[in-house]
Amino acid sequence: MSFVLGIDIGSAQSKGVALDDQGPLGSFECASGGNFKLTAEKVKEELFSRAGRSADNISRTVATGYGAKLVIFADEIKSDIVCLAKGISSLLPSVRTVIDIGDLYTKVLRTDGHGSVHSFILSGKCAGGSGRILQVIAKVLQVKVDEIGELSLKSKKRVEFNTGCAVFAETEAISRLSQEVTKEDLLAGLHRALGAQINNLAERIGVEQDIAMTGGGARDIGLVQALKEIRGHDILVPPIPHMTAALGAALIAREGLKR
Amino acid sequence: MIDKENNIFDTVKNYYNDYGFRAKDLKREGKKFIGYVCSFVPLEIITASGSLPFRVRGNIHEPITKGDTLLETIVCPYYRSVFDLSVKGEYDFLSGLVIPHGCDSMVRSFSAWSYGLPFSYFHFVNIPSVCDESSFEFFDAELDAFRKSLGKFTGKAITEEHLRQAIRAYNENRDKVRALYELRKADPPLISGTELTMTLTAGSSLPIEESNDLFDQVLTEVKGRGKSPLKKGPRIFIDGACLDNIELIKLVEELGGNVVADTICNGARDHFPKTDVGGDPIHALAHRYLDKINCPKTYRANRAGTFEGDIANRFGDVGTYAREFRVDGAILYVYKYCDPFGFEVPARKAYYQSLNLPLLHLEDIYSAGTISQLRTRVQAFLEMIGQ
Amino acid sequence: MAEEQKEAKPKKRMTATKAAASIGPMVKEFITGTLQAKAEGKQKVAYTFIVCHHEEIFRALDVIPVWTENFAGICGAKRDAERFLQRAESLGLSRSLCTYALCGIGFDQWREELGQMPPEAPWGGQVRPDFMISSGQILCDPRSKWYQASQQFMPDVPIYNIDLPYPLFQENRDHREALGYYHQYIVKQLRGLVAFLEEQTKKKMNYDRLRELVDLSDRTWNLIDETYKLRRAAPCPMGTGDAMNTMVPINFMMATQKAYDFFVDLKKELEEKIAKGEGEVENEKYRLMWGGGLPAWYALNDFNYFNSKGASFPVETTYRMVAPLHEMDIPETKDPIEHLAWRWLGYWTFWYDKAKKRPGSEPDVERLINWIEEYKIDGVVMHEAFSCRTWHVGLIWQLHQLAKIYKPIPVYMIGKDGQKGKVYRELPSLILESDIIDITSYSEVDTRNKIDAFVETLESIRANRAT
Repeated sequence: MSFVLGIDIGSAQSKGVALDDQGPLGSFECASGGNFKLTAEKVKEELFSRAGRSADNISRTVATGYGAKLVIFADEIKSDIVCLAKGISSLLPSVRTVIDIGDLYTKVLRTDGHGSVHSFILSGKCAGGSGRILQVIAKVLQVKVDEIGELSLKSKKRVEFNTGCAVFAETEAISRLSQEVTKEDLLAGLHRALGAQINNLAERIGVEQDIAMTGGGARDIGLVQALKEIRGHDILVPPIPHMTAALGAALIAREGLKR
Repeated sequence: MIDKENNIFDTVKNYYNDYGFRAKDLKREGKKFIGYVCSFVPLEIITASGSLPFRVRGNIHEPITKGDTLLETIVCPYYRSVFDLSVKGEYDFLSGLVIPHGCDSMVRSFSAWSYGLPFSYFHFVNIPSVCDESSFEFFDAELDAFRKSLGKFTGKAITEEHLRQAIRAYNENRDKVRALYELRKADPPLISGTELTMTLTAGSSLPIEESNDLFDQVLTEVKGRGKSPLKKGPRIFIDGACLDNIELIKLVEELGGNVVADTICNGARDHFPKTDVGGDPIHALAHRYLDKINCPKTYRANRAGTFEGDIANRFGDVGTYAREFRVDGAILYVYKYCDPFGFEVPARKAYYQSLNLPLLHLEDIYSAGTISQLRTRVQAFLEMIGQ
Repeated sequence: MAEEQKEAKPKKRMTATKAAASIGPMVKEFITGTLQAKAEGKQKVAYTFIVCHHEEIFRALDVIPVWTENFAGICGAKRDAERFLQRAESLGLSRSLCTYALCGIGFDQWREELGQMPPEAPWGGQVRPDFMISSGQILCDPRSKWYQASQQFMPDVPIYNIDLPYPLFQENRDHREALGYYHQYIVKQLRGLVAFLEEQTKKKMNYDRLRELVDLSDRTWNLIDETYKLRRAAPCPMGTGDAMNTMVPINFMMATQKAYDFFVDLKKELEEKIAKGEGEVENEKYRLMWGGGLPAWYALNDFNYFNSKGASFPVETTYRMVAPLHEMDIPETKDPIEHLAWRWLGYWTFWYDKAKKRPGSEPDVERLINWIEEYKIDGVVMHEAFSCRTWHVGLIWQLHQLAKIYKPIPVYMIGKDGQKGKVYRELPSLILESDIIDITSYSEVDTRNKIDAFVETLESIRANRAT
């Protein structure tokens, strides 16, 4: 009986999934903090306890994410692009385009339903935009990050942003606060602006349906809604969207055993 | 704006806010509009062809979205906005588009425009980067090629007589703009910078005859004011590239300054130089567009042999306007990623210093999102020179 | 003024060929040579730009060209550009402008202020020129602005600006209709340059010598073309990493015997490697094209990183500033200046006819397609340097258009009906983002993460390719 781990050390959050031949045994998430090596250990230990297995049972570990190289016990490192494709193919096989919104980057990739990647693009300095701006604004507005989606959906009169650039969007958002707009309207505007940038990024490599959103950003229902409105069609979101890459890593680990 | 009565500025405002609505009307009547960007496209040739030139604009209130999927973000931000609006279909009523060699952003994106937009006519006009005898010969030939190409598109050869008529109409237009600027010389000026820029922008969306009519009506209206509706304040000069919106000027005026003169493309750069009449019309146009348009894109040889002499030659128009319009301070407004203007900033600063004219240098992107940042700096500058 | 500490020296890049390894010392020798020549005062030294087809004229009048783009690149490669960039910024120049020019202007201003070279100037520094030859082109705005800006700090150094346009590709227009007046203009511009140089050097142009030099560079052009085409071999004997060295003789040394001899040696070396089956990469897995953009000079190591993943670069569009002369229509002429002008036009319009034959194509896209096929390319990599519009605007569109009209990869996909079907997809591509010399725009971690993902994508495509 195989027992494999997929560990995704992101710049903000670390995620892990444990699998055996039957399926998932458990998952775990925590803040990445300043020491990725220690965090990776913590994720591993926690997965052992959740899966009810010990270090002796482990057959293979695949690491991915920004801090993957610091998962020193991993057998293999895979890029999160490939892991996302693998993860989504098991969760939502009809998906051809994945939009993953992380803390540092947004990634868009095209896949075929079997976990093979055809092309991808990452957000850059001036294009795309990532989840970080939402964290910054949440702090300014003194709301919890998990609340901003709901707040945004309550907006009655969305603030229209003038800029498409992430750097300026941040300053513009802050300057709008001095103009007495509500939190709800500001967040709805920000979601719209960020959604538009992310959509542009996706359009650069071409979009094939179905589309899925993954990553921490996909937990923000305000952002998901904004992207749906911009694109004018439905977007799928797996139940635990931020766990997709970790799941993909675990699936790759399990396939690695068969080779 | 100033008079609540139904005056000509309501019409101007309408043209400005709903940019292109008149062109759409005329298109329904069967007229063909040819879009253009930049100061270097000879509008007289388009008008002489029987089609109507239309200056495509950006929109600083509109976030750039679709344009970014086809064009790098390191392009001139103004040009990026124009491209974005175009691919979003804002200018689909145009029959064609002419792009000149104004800068690298225009040259390197030409294919993105010509393959991506639904117009049936595209033309690129190459502009020499120097002004000497051989470059005028070349430019004559290049403009002649443009004349032929456009004639082929409209199905009607463009004759010298057509060109002469168009040249007359544009020269008349430029006289009217001059007359509008004359009204800025009073202190406080009779016409605000906001009104003036709005008027010129509106004009660039109209057939030349209608633009002439509009300017006449604005002139009558403003002359009829007798007394200026404005308050005295620091008299500000705007130096820079294409400013096809009123936001910066409005900001200065809200903060107590009066914008009285400029070098901007949508102002003196485009509208002051006239075309010589009498000789070969193509040659006269080549001379106007290459030599008389004072854009940093064109290399002007340093004939003085000194730095002071060189800047006096290159930026002499600034000094002339500053004296003529009794300017108290200047704002050098440059877009990020603009190589032609950007490399001149140190020399322009030195030139303003030689004029003893206080200068505020602003680097900006083409977006209303930055206005609040500009406000603080403009306010401090106005307070400084107001002391 | 802030003077930053030099940043950590990068790991030395490994070259595949001996020829490429010999370039570093060659450039250093050239830079010190300009300083020496200036000190001796026998020859005039002139700032100028690459790719102007004017080096024959310089050399025929014994003027030493100082390639200011080269010096900025050296500062970048040595990770010592930041202090010059900061100096330029303090003069009021925006960091968003061409950083080669900013580095050069910052350096010039500093040198002029001190009356001597700035402290620890890279390889002895950039010599104070006797005059500057700028070139307004339909290619690069900074070229006619850079020296003008530098002249503020050395007003006694004259500038001569030549204009070298070419007809831009227009789908609906036959460029041949315009070639006549373009040619006439370029000839006059080059003759103006000759007159200016004659006046500065107090020498008369020897047209026989000029003809010989033009002939020498023509022969070198053809030799370069033949040499580079050897890289079609699998495994590929030399990659783009090396080509970023061998660009030196192409761009800085044309019309010299040394450049010709260099390519004789390189050609021989490549032929030997091919005979032995030696590749740039030991186990060549993927063949990539550097499809656009100047390199990040401080991060040439990234080519080694690609190599370490089994990826080789048999071809690049960057700095391959030659095309086979016999495939151009160059009218016979005895006048070397006229010939230079034809060669200029022939080079820039080289892909025009081919592009017109393929629906939806365009010269830059056409070149990509041709080379993808000739060099058996698996993926395209580009670099978007934020400060340079000349080479870096239009790349996204080129990839977009390429994907639209060229789909060479067959894959099986399950369609909406649940049936497996064969579809064709475009070649994968990667755009790296940073700058030519501004290292603050570069992140090694991010770049390598992107490269990892790209190589894994290539792997994924290969595994799923339909047969």
